[in-house]
Amino acid sequence: MTIISLRDVKKRYELGGATVHAVRGVSLEIETGEFVTITGPSGSGKSTLMHILGCLDRPTEGQFLLNGKDVSGLARDELAAIRNKQIGFVFQGFNLLPRTTAVENVEVPLLYSRPGVRTSERRRRALAALAAMGLSDRAEHHPNQLSGGQQQRVAIARALVNEPAVILADEPTGNLDTATSIEVMRLLQELRAQRRMTIVLITHEPDIAAYGTRIVAMRDGVVVSDTPNAARAS
Amino acid sequence: MLPRAVALAGQALDSLTRNKLQTGLALLGVSIGVGALVTSIGLGRGARQAIDAELRAAGANMIVVTSGNYRPQADPQEDSVGDETWLDDIHGPNGDAGPRMVPVHFEDDPTALHDHPTAKQRLGDASAGLGAAATLTRADAAAILREIPGVQHVASGVHENVRVYAGPDEKGPVWFTRLHGTDVDLAVIRTGWVFPYGGFLTEQQVESSEQVIVLGRIVADRLFGSGSNPVGQIVKLWHQAFRVTGVIGTRSWATQPEPGDDQFDAVYVPVTTVHRLLNLSKLNTITLTTTSVGDTTAIAKRIVVLLRRRHHIGENAADDFIVRTQAQQVLGHGLPPQLARLVTGNLSGVDSLTIAKLGVSMERANATMLWLLVGVATVSLVVGGVGLMNLLLLSVTQRTREVGVRMALGARRADVVLQFVAEAVALSVVGGLLGTVIGVFAASGLAQMFHWSIVVSPLIGALGMLAAAVLGVLFGVYPARRAAGIDPIEALRYE
Repeated sequence: MTIISLRDVKKRYELGGATVHAVRGVSLEIETGEFVTITGPSGSGKSTLMHILGCLDRPTEGQFLLNGKDVSGLARDELAAIRNKQIGFVFQGFNLLPRTTAVENVEVPLLYSRPGVRTSERRRRALAALAAMGLSDRAEHHPNQLSGGQQQRVAIARALVNEPAVILADEPTGNLDTATSIEVMRLLQELRAQRRMTIVLITHEPDIAAYGTRIVAMRDGVVVSDTPNAARAS
Repeated sequence: MLPRAVALAGQALDSLTRNKLQTGLALLGVSIGVGALVTSIGLGRGARQAIDAELRAAGANMIVVTSGNYRPQADPQEDSVGDETWLDDIHGPNGDAGPRMVPVHFEDDPTALHDHPTAKQRLGDASAGLGAAATLTRADAAAILREIPGVQHVASGVHENVRVYAGPDEKGPVWFTRLHGTDVDLAVIRTGWVFPYGGFLTEQQVESSEQVIVLGRIVADRLFGSGSNPVGQIVKLWHQAFRVTGVIGTRSWATQPEPGDDQFDAVYVPVTTVHRLLNLSKLNTITLTTTSVGDTTAIAKRIVVLLRRRHHIGENAADDFIVRTQAQQVLGHGLPPQLARLVTGNLSGVDSLTIAKLGVSMERANATMLWLLVGVATVSLVVGGVGLMNLLLLSVTQRTREVGVRMALGARRADVVLQFVAEAVALSVVGGLLGTVIGVFAASGLAQMFHWSIVVSPLIGALGMLAAAVLGVLFGVYPARRAAGIDPIEALRYE
């Protein structure tokens, strides 16, 4: 089943009087259970593509179908609802809320769900997501009491808690050392293998990109290569 | 909506601890504003109560019925209750040339029963005043209270001039003063009275005509030394020993004790005791108050009707008493009788013209003052609100990234607005709580320091809290909307 379908998506924006063509026409189909890594040097348009995929931004031209629904023309609050339900973000800098415990951080997406989720249900689902990441004993810790790898696992638990259609990871290992990076990538692989989770990951590191089942390379706003990764496919 | 707001505020409040100094200053601003509001409303309400009390203390609702008569002989029909033709008594119903004055005094009235032996006959003291046998009785007083609705308190009065000696042997200091034989209600009629020592006459003392005496402040000072406590001491008048049971002082700035006045340069004994010792049976005056200041004139007219009936005064005969309101007494005071009677006769509605008008203008001045204070309080509230807004704008800037993350996780603009407004309200309510406490303390401090009367009620506290909450919403909305307008992509990049 096709979960993400980009049809000739273009994105332009004005920057200091000049028009920047960040994405110049990308068409991409991503199936459920794929682990797609998007690589490219900075300025290749991969971050802009990521924002469009994450419903944080709208394409200037072209169509973006998420789960068969065209979301390219939706209003801000409608996009917010889609982000909440269908997309789980994992950021480079973890982006956990400081002075807020791990379990409270995981609860945040449930706080914005409509219809609302009861307090007890929020707590139950957040703890379950943390347990899946092996962090049950860290639930009441604050982010600054956790290691980088643990923080990123809390962030992944937060991305998973609302059972999204796709996980979008933007340089998730950028702030981590090699050993921890491998641990996080294995976790993501497990999610794909065990839960048939669709994952789109952006990185500029080739060895991280190699964890995907399919590697998309971008340059100057267009896809220059799109190849299955035979070593990871299952 | 509400549980969501609570959950958001719970997370939000904690972020305020990040800017402790700024949060503290914003809190201070809000609490000063709310405190000023609470204090000024307390002041205003206190001032209103004080004015009310002063007006009562000044006797705006007081009526005095006096034996004897200087009143013009009136057509009795004109004296009917509740009509508005009172002034016609003076001008004559048909525009006649003027009233026919019929001076009547009990001393001149051959039909009056004289029951007043001279003082020399009674007590062997030639210098004591003549007994003032008169036309009014304690039964009249009781009837006024019983039969006329709207009458609050009634006190009988027999008045004499006496020499009072300190101590039991007539060798101590002596003071020549007014004596009022009265009963217990006088203490509640004179609302301006306080009792620095002891108390007023009791029901028991009046009933059994005990020889007890309450001294006015001036008398107590003259006989026993300034500020002393004479309760329990013996004084002598008419060669009789009286035990002092109290001293009368004033609470009103409108009436201060002065030698020669009729209230504090005076002594008070049970009317029954005066009647027993002087062998009298009548009263010089009946003093009464009405429940409502506005009814005083109407009740004065009903008293005239009642007493005329009780005294069996024929239609064309003159009253054997005078009913006067406090204001009339004040106006007539010190004037020659002819003039006084013209003045008071022509201004029969004068009570509502003078004290009531004074009251109105005092109320108006107070209202102006109150609005001024509320204006100042509003200004400080706005200043507090601006401080609060400043803090929130700072907080929004500092938390741009947090807002971006929340938006990425699905927060709508309304959620972000709600979070920051909830934060503003939480902050301003804490400020309001502090402010209410500050206001209450400031109000009671002012009350103590300047002897102002201040009313602080739970209602005012609630009003302060409400003002704080409204302030939070008003000044929280703008920063909250700023936060909601943040672009999540920019915010996520923000360091």
